[in-house]
Amino acid sequence: MRIRLSVNGQVYARDVEEHRTLLRFLREDLGLPGTKEGCGMGECGACTVIYNGRAVNACMVLAVEADGATIETIEGEAKGDSLSDIQAAFERNHAVQCGFCTPGMVMSVKELLRENPKPDDDEIKEAIEGNFCRCTGYTQIIEAVRDLTGRSGEKGGLEHV
Amino acid sequence: MLYEFRYLSPRTLPDLLATLAEHAADGQVLAGGTDLLPNIRNGIRKPAFVIDSKLYPGAADLRWSESEGLHIGPAATISDVMRNKTARELFPTLCACAHELASHQVRNRATVAGNVVNASPCSDMAPALLCLGARAIVERAGGDRRELAFAGFFAGVKKTVLRPGEYLSGIVVPASAAKAKGRYLKLKRIAGHDLGIVGVLMTEKDGVLRFGVSSAAPTPVLVETVARKDGPEEAVRKVLASVSPIDDVRSTKAYREHMIGVYVRRLLEEVR
Repeated sequence: MRIRLSVNGQVYARDVEEHRTLLRFLREDLGLPGTKEGCGMGECGACTVIYNGRAVNACMVLAVEADGATIETIEGEAKGDSLSDIQAAFERNHAVQCGFCTPGMVMSVKELLRENPKPDDDEIKEAIEGNFCRCTGYTQIIEAVRDLTGRSGEKGGLEHV
Repeated sequence: MLYEFRYLSPRTLPDLLATLAEHAADGQVLAGGTDLLPNIRNGIRKPAFVIDSKLYPGAADLRWSESEGLHIGPAATISDVMRNKTARELFPTLCACAHELASHQVRNRATVAGNVVNASPCSDMAPALLCLGARAIVERAGGDRRELAFAGFFAGVKKTVLRPGEYLSGIVVPASAAKAKGRYLKLKRIAGHDLGIVGVLMTEKDGVLRFGVSSAAPTPVLVETVARKDGPEEAVRKVLASVSPIDDVRSTKAYREHMIGVYVRRLLEEVR
């Protein structure tokens, strides 16, 4: 089936198999492998992309459903060598270790901050509750988001992460 | 990874109903896809045709009228409900249950209709729809249309009373349930994304108490027998008499019963 969609501001028109997921389509058909496949069934959030403004798991969307959609992925963040604000905050706060969850984590944070520029800790935790990180213990990620909202250096109060 | 199925994209409700009638035996409705697509991937479901139900105009609408109540279109997502001003103001318990469902990403995609049509015992939206007296609008090709209360909608584990070719084309939460107060307590292994071990919603309106219980019987359960004057032990006894929890991979019957008691007592304290 022929689909047409916008990914990071660029419009693509492609023929795609009807049973192909959006995740596979992005990675293999469009050559955008930044979005990761972890569990492939909506548990881990490694495949999180922004779909018409909302963070979703790309492993549970068919590419054909995305006909006409506007998609944002991690490849839309850095401009050349210049990291996006979210990426820079992750780097500054040591919020990346192995990096596998990071693309999805960044997209969840991007949706959160667009809708709620001053989230409290509970709102940050809720926004990333569908993104599993097995390295950082989440603390540095939450600190990175605090940093983005002008609360850098606040280290305490994360005992219930 | 996903085996080959055909994707059908009807653009009007009559076309959708006709497609469902034609593929009653070999088709599956695709709404949010958060249940269907993992099930296809895992080989649990093998439809020859996947029928997208989100594409006709108005499918995702949330409409409020004082005469009818809140109409939830079949493609309205869990997030759509949580973001809807009317739902938040008039049906806080509906939003409270929505808030407990899965993860943020799943709520952005999963639909209210899908959550009840799947008829999982651990459905989070069912307790609210049961306690608020919501009705299912069911349509079929050829103009057949019926409405039924959610109290009679669930037939067993993952089974509803929908007949082949029938489609849940809307959910109506009646205006009479507006401003019902209450709270949903859901026990899970971690604070974030998880299936429930047990869930108890209590609603209170005009002195009438209702309990909606998830993960405690083959279907979500509505309990209407608890009176305001009942003591906590009497209330717990009545709720437990309506459910039949089991031992399974996530918990034991005994723990589920214990926690239902804890939650019922805790919820009652809040209205006293």
